Amino acid sequence: MAKTFMDPHDVPTISGTEGWERMYPYQYQFSKEDPERTKFESSQIWYYDGLHYPEPHYPFDLFWDEAWFLALSQYNSRIFMVPPAMGIDHRIINGYVYITPVGIPDPNEVGKRVPLFMERAGYYYQNWDTLFGKWKKKVTALIEQLEAVNFPELPEMEDISVVLEGKGVSSGYELLKRYDDLINMGLLNWQYHFEFLNLGYAAYVTFINTTNQIFPGIPMSTLTKMVSGIDVIMYKPDAELIRLATLAIDVGIDELILKTSKAREAMDELAKHPSGKEWLAEMEKARYPWFYISTGTGWYHTHISWNDNLDIPFDSIRMHIKSLKEGKEVGRPTEKLIKERDRIVEEYRKLIKTDDDREAFEQGLAVSRTVFPYVEDHLFYIEHWFHSIFWAKIRQIGAIFQNAGFIENADTDIWFMKRDEIKQALWDYVTAWATGVKPRGPSYWPKEIAWRKGVYEKFKEWTPPPALGVPPDVVTEPFTIVLWGVTTDVLSEWLKGGEEGEGEQNTIQGSPGSSGIVEGRARVLKNVQELADLREGEILVATTTSPSWAPAFVKIGGAVTDVGGPMCHAAIVCREYGLPTVVGTGKATHLIKTGDLIKIDGDSGLVTILERAK
Amino acid sequence: MVEKEKRYSIWYDEMDGKDYPIVGKKNANLGEMIKAGIPVSPGFAITIYANDQFLILSGIKTEIEKQLGTLGQVTFETTKEASALAMGLIEGATMPAVIGDDILSNYHKLCERAGVGACPVAVRSSGAISMPGQMETYLNICGEKDLIDYIKKCWASAYNVEAIMYRMNKGMPFLFNIGVGIPKMVNSRVSGIIFTINPINGDPSKISVDASYGLGEAVVSGLVTPDTYLVDKVTLDVIKTVIGSKATQCVYRDNASDIVQRDVPGDKQKVPCLSAEEIKEVARVGKLIEDYYGQAYDIEFGVDADFPFPRNIIILQVRPESVWSKKEVEAKVAKAKDPMERILGQLLTGVKLRQ
Repeated sequence: MAKTFMDPHDVPTISGTEGWERMYPYQYQFSKEDPERTKFESSQIWYYDGLHYPEPHYPFDLFWDEAWFLALSQYNSRIFMVPPAMGIDHRIINGYVYITPVGIPDPNEVGKRVPLFMERAGYYYQNWDTLFGKWKKKVTALIEQLEAVNFPELPEMEDISVVLEGKGVSSGYELLKRYDDLINMGLLNWQYHFEFLNLGYAAYVTFINTTNQIFPGIPMSTLTKMVSGIDVIMYKPDAELIRLATLAIDVGIDELILKTSKAREAMDELAKHPSGKEWLAEMEKARYPWFYISTGTGWYHTHISWNDNLDIPFDSIRMHIKSLKEGKEVGRPTEKLIKERDRIVEEYRKLIKTDDDREAFEQGLAVSRTVFPYVEDHLFYIEHWFHSIFWAKIRQIGAIFQNAGFIENADTDIWFMKRDEIKQALWDYVTAWATGVKPRGPSYWPKEIAWRKGVYEKFKEWTPPPALGVPPDVVTEPFTIVLWGVTTDVLSEWLKGGEEGEGEQNTIQGSPGSSGIVEGRARVLKNVQELADLREGEILVATTTSPSWAPAFVKIGGAVTDVGGPMCHAAIVCREYGLPTVVGTGKATHLIKTGDLIKIDGDSGLVTILERAK
Repeated sequence: MVEKEKRYSIWYDEMDGKDYPIVGKKNANLGEMIKAGIPVSPGFAITIYANDQFLILSGIKTEIEKQLGTLGQVTFETTKEASALAMGLIEGATMPAVIGDDILSNYHKLCERAGVGACPVAVRSSGAISMPGQMETYLNICGEKDLIDYIKKCWASAYNVEAIMYRMNKGMPFLFNIGVGIPKMVNSRVSGIIFTINPINGDPSKISVDASYGLGEAVVSGLVTPDTYLVDKVTLDVIKTVIGSKATQCVYRDNASDIVQRDVPGDKQKVPCLSAEEIKEVARVGKLIEDYYGQAYDIEFGVDADFPFPRNIIILQVRPESVWSKKEVEAKVAKAKDPMERILGQLLTGVKLRQ
């Protein structure tokens, strides 16, 4: 590949955002002070992590990026000693995160790591189920601990118990400590996240390549069907809503729920009836943990959970009640899925002609099926359950800051502070409380946050180039391929894209998500709250989807997302419903408007705008 | 209902392979394919019994038997004379009303089913014994009068010189009744070829479909670059679509059986000639045929503009795939001690995944 992308050091600063670098950690900047580091930066391929970050980063939300930066890399490089791979390096430009896989160029070094890897990774593969069982206990214990952390206002005077019990510490000290605890829990959560994931993907990539050798061009969607579980925890929240909808019909409170439009209103009405009360009790049971499902990917604080806004699950319950009463099939057709999975595997087995190939196929399938429950289920524990509670805890600190005049709005402002800056501001607040003076925060933060909000808006208008730096001959890092869909071919496609120039763009290239071609009117939805607008047969265009979007999938004719690879939620669900889907288009929600007539080809990944809405 | 042996005509979907003594092999084979779920062009067979009754009722049988005696010793010359005599008598005779009415009544039903007046049909000979290429088949026959005339021509073709000689050498009698097939001519909006493997690399998990507008000749003879669709045999998902140029198409000249070339309008060249559901259905039928015969097949199909989907997918011809089926299959994946070694190997070599 002769052509290269723009050098990362040459990306211009957007006018009016000068000084933006202070919104993010210093080590995330591309820099030129050290020639060695500069040379490294210039010679790597940096691709924009649109999968996780369709929008620019809020300074606080970058915490999760730091957390996985550390966790993924260390498991490759220092724990499992993956022979040819170190970690994935991170940078930020104009609010957007770029990442690059780092390899080990010295073959001797790679060779030395082989026996280490075999011992270490081998232990995990051999004891997978036991270790995964332990993992679930660790993570749920951590979540319980997280639930217990709270951030109350500081008192005018400490309670007498501080004296009588000889506690020896103040609420101010507690506040500072709890914030540290919270951050540490977040980091630990992400340490756990990657405990199995690298090895899981390595096994899956091996199976993908083995089957591609036996059956050249076998679609990724077919392979996912072969290994995917049926009882996946991510589908549980929607299953709970269906259970509640069915229960509502059974006990005769369905009309009552249908009549209301807000959760509060429905709950007040239900509380007046005995059967309504019972139903509410059932819902309370379902809420923990299932309503901690995020309405997005869980990566941004704006991705609230059902528990944060009960109107969302209530809207879905209403949709389910309507569908059930119309006699429609709701939920996942699990029996059909099991049958279909078994049929696909059986038919492929029969097509294998030699014993060696058969052995490779069976081994690959068995290992993939061992690792897949983790690959599928960890999302709920980490990105949804843990994150949703975590965001709510930060909002509690936001409330303290708002009351103290550090920020103007508890819900929207704290995210413009870095995690270290929140710690500093808490010190400011606590020491001023202790001393009985006015803190500096109220005269410092509102102005700074207003400026950062302005910068953030400018970042939003900027389109991050898909890649920077020098493309390698072959992309090898398993995450890079499976999750981000970055391959040598994709890189050359991106290079081509740069030549066409701007103007009215009527075709958008993404990745195939689910097979088939469909034409229809687009419905661009920014978030799950807008689901009610969706009409039968429309093509859903969204940044990303999560299982909380499930009711949409019985209505739509197909889906297009900005972010995601063949393993993302939208692709998996659409394959189950047989809906043509294109994922990872990068910009579909920007280029397509509601009402546009579009055609999507789930086999080639091409989206075409046929006719603009009037 | 009259028993099969005494009927003049029988619909394809009423018969099966065992009926070849009644309708001839080609016809019986179509019945067998329909039974297996393989869609062929709708039509009916005129029975061997009808041929026999025609000869009896028209008096031709008596006439021929009488004259054969006077021809004397069998030579090439006398065979030619006997051929001219028999063919003249058959083509010149009037179709007995009982037989003609039966055939035309079915023909009208066929026209109705297709929604086409004077529906074009083929008139195909179908002997109970294989006699390759010795009897005639007529294409694109329209209307009652032509239909009856060509059925007689088809019967007469059993008495061409080669056919008579062939039978004499085999010690068979001079008189020879055959079945005739009357399938609807496929009004091919699109035609093409299905391979139930990937013909490029022999991968048995794929079905490859080549298709272009008009009659199959354009694809078979390489006159056009057709669309190529690669389908996953197990899931029937389309994996790859390559749109061919498809600049021209072959069609029958109106009311004739010869083929002419026409331009394909520009806007139709750039789009796939088969819809997504048609590709899937074509692949499904290909898979069915492979399962039925138990090996990879090479199949010609047409998409009939006179029928709605999915009845428009029509199988024209099937034959065993001959290239990959004969090759020894080698393992595609390198041997490994255990799954760990495979994973290690994968990590060390890296991946270049096709997009």
